[in-house]
Amino acid sequence: MATKPKIKELLEESACSHHKTKKTSCNAPTPGATTGGCAFEGAQISLFPYADAAHLVHGPITCLAASWETRATKTSHTGRDFTQMGFTTDIANTDVVFGGEQKLLNAIDYILQHYSPEAIFVYATCVTALIGDDIDAVCRQAAEKYGLPVVPVHAPGFVGSKNLGSRLGGEAALMHLIGTLEPEFTTPFDINLIGEYNVTGDMWQYSHLLDELGIRILSTLSGDGRVRAIRSAHRARLNVIVCAKSLISLTRKMEEKYGIPHISLSFYGKRDTSAGLLAIAEALGDADLIERTKRLIVREEAALEEKLAPYRALFRGKKAVLNTGGNKTWSIAAALQDLGIEVVATAVKKATEADREKAREVLGEKGVLMMNPGAEQARIIEERGAHLLLAGGRSLYTAIKKGIAFADVNQEKKKSYGGYNGLLNLAEDLKNALENPVFKNVAKRAPWEK
Amino acid sequence: MGEISHRNTKPLQVNPFKLSQPMGATLAFLGVDRCMPLMHGAMGCTSFTKVYTTRHFCEPIAIQTTAVTDITAILDGGDTSIVESVKNITAKVSPSLIGLHSTGLTETKGDDLRAVAAQVDFPLVYVNTPDYEGGLESGWALATRALIEQLVEPTEAIDDDKVVLLPHVSLTPIEVEKIKEFIAAFGYDVLALPDLSTSLDGHLGEKQAALSSGGIGVEQIRTLGDAGLVVSVGDSMRACAEALQKKNPFMRHRHFSHLSGLEGTDALAAWLLAETGRECPPEAIVRWRRRLQDAMLDGHFSLGQTRVLALGEPDHLTGLCHSLLEAGAKVTVAISTVASPQLERIQGRRVLVGDLEDAENLCDEYDLIVGNGHCEALAHRLHKALVLRGFPNWEEVGNPLKQDVLYEGGAYFLCECANTAEKLRGHG
Ligand code: SF4
Repeated sequence: MATKPKIKELLEESACSHHKTKKTSCNAPTPGATTGGCAFEGAQISLFPYADAAHLVHGPITCLAASWETRATKTSHTGRDFTQMGFTTDIANTDVVFGGEQKLLNAIDYILQHYSPEAIFVYATCVTALIGDDIDAVCRQAAEKYGLPVVPVHAPGFVGSKNLGSRLGGEAALMHLIGTLEPEFTTPFDINLIGEYNVTGDMWQYSHLLDELGIRILSTLSGDGRVRAIRSAHRARLNVIVCAKSLISLTRKMEEKYGIPHISLSFYGKRDTSAGLLAIAEALGDADLIERTKRLIVREEAALEEKLAPYRALFRGKKAVLNTGGNKTWSIAAALQDLGIEVVATAVKKATEADREKAREVLGEKGVLMMNPGAEQARIIEERGAHLLLAGGRSLYTAIKKGIAFADVNQEKKKSYGGYNGLLNLAEDLKNALENPVFKNVAKRAPWEK
Repeated sequence: MGEISHRNTKPLQVNPFKLSQPMGATLAFLGVDRCMPLMHGAMGCTSFTKVYTTRHFCEPIAIQTTAVTDITAILDGGDTSIVESVKNITAKVSPSLIGLHSTGLTETKGDDLRAVAAQVDFPLVYVNTPDYEGGLESGWALATRALIEQLVEPTEAIDDDKVVLLPHVSLTPIEVEKIKEFIAAFGYDVLALPDLSTSLDGHLGEKQAALSSGGIGVEQIRTLGDAGLVVSVGDSMRACAEALQKKNPFMRHRHFSHLSGLEGTDALAAWLLAETGRECPPEAIVRWRRRLQDAMLDGHFSLGQTRVLALGEPDHLTGLCHSLLEAGAKVTVAISTVASPQLERIQGRRVLVGDLEDAENLCDEYDLIVGNGHCEALAHRLHKALVLRGFPNWEEVGNPLKQDVLYEGGAYFLCECANTAEKLRGHG
């Protein structure tokens, strides 16, 4: 059985809104003018949060050495947390010449004997894909020997972007895990969370609310995930795609195969969190649930407003420029608006067309969508009199030059900004940025400078 | 002395702290002024490298990828992707040099970098750095050697005041600066190759840096051949010194395995005295030597009862262990990323090539860990004292300012180790 997914098919995802205009939008790197991760990275991101599975990278040292421990995907798993571990076959010269299959098999044996995970994901990478190691055969052999899932993940870096890699990761889960185990019981309110990776514990900002409403997270792909759970994901009533569009093909296929409908939403900011909760309740179609959800939203929003009150005064009249990528272009913008900050511009250079549409919607007609933020942001800060720049570290000097506050939104974040509580974290960070004298002080001239 | 095992017998690495050759080469090219490192491979390797270096140095990092795809991986001998890359890079910025280095992917498919480089009409240095061989240290050394072989002009003229310093990859920007100053204090003009001390030292760039600023200039590299002396630090850099000597048969070479601690620094000072015929080094150096001795004494009580696990690239590890051992600390376990003859020199109880799983399995044998950012989780889990050293370190700021070498840095290093060990004992 060939388990290699058809890349072309995934690229032309029919459920993608930009499908018609830009067929290979997710896969056209330009030599010498490209930044961004590879498909392997994307696959790892989408599957890594399974804390009870070992993630074995079959390749030379680059792929894993530079990727383990880089993401704060939190887990409630009480056993050994494999998301905090790195496994690699670290193939050497001889493996490249003679093939790395035996080494891979030995590595799988080693992991199973020493760590007894619930499953192993085996990631192909550029070199091992090129030398043609048959990881399907090795995985099948190991799965039979040990009687547990050993999942080949075919997303070597050279096939494309991070985004495509996430799809390939989802594809591997669909092909080898989903539908292989029946849940112990089901409820009418069982959902799967797809595309939420629980970075900095984002998922936990709202999962307790779902819990309170009686909505059960049957499985996740893959924030705070468990292998057993995803294996029984086919019994859910609803797939909820959280923010990331990258797994939309997976949910479409689950709809075709298991009849599970899907909705797509975001849990950033007050309005989106409320809308998201309500959307889930409505999709589950239970009148009582919808009623209870509405009441919960009223309660939560009121509690949030009370806590936000002291910040509101500080943020009144403040304007921000946002320079980031992907869905952050609009989701953070919406969160800022929830705090009473006017977003005068956001960068859409690294956003898909769907994200651009959404950004326009959020910012309104007056908002600037920056196509070349590096060059534009300084001018816009001046023209609109912005007080705050939210961007990656590179833009720090723009902020210093303009003498305004700066917040880094691209650095691997340590705090969650998700859900109602996350908005408070964001407010606190922005307050600290606005009050920090450092931006003015580092811009000061030395006594010997004119 | 100790039990030395240079072979990793496991079929895998578990929690590796080893890094790749292409990453080391990137770092070396970043030590050249206005150089654009161009990694020849699929785009992920470059992206990872960029994130790593940006977070470690807290600086914007210039780097580009040839973005090899499944199609070019099969059809292209590297020509198109490299030539296109150079075109696209130079359309936007004007580097003084492009530093082309390969990855496992492009080595496996057998791209001939030399042939492709010949087609490129732009200053470019190329180097083969497959990531299935060597590690960070060798990648840096290979790139440095390529810079020498492909740029330095042969000559027979000698400038007796000129010294070329060849630092290994793990010397921090401030350490390189301090070594340059140390040698310069004896009256020499010192040029470091590569020179991170002026390019990644945490300066406040006024512009959004699209290229590295600072570092040794390309013109300076071209004319390194007339230096009277070349000083290499770390065994990985020996071959670079030899390559430089090939450019000028009259150039003399002095090698130091490391410049750590009393003995290591004494060796440098003694050599400089002999070279210059001076009786005594400058006063500041004399004072720092006394301070180091003082620190050894002040720290000996704590260090003498501390068992240390040290981890690092071979050259770095050798220096760290030497400093600790001569101050009385017990280096019970030393783990290197890759094999190197350097390791023979470490007088630790157990010296091995391995990963953090090995460190974990030996956890009963040490109290203090000296190693890179990955050790944070290890120390936390095992309740060990921790001094973060090496690349990468995302847990702390100020990495380019950490100095452990020479009398001065050695004094700071021992105090930090002693204090850290003491703190844990106090809370123990
Ligand atoms: S591009 Fe290929 S070799 Fe590089 S990190 Fe990604 S999978 Fe690994």
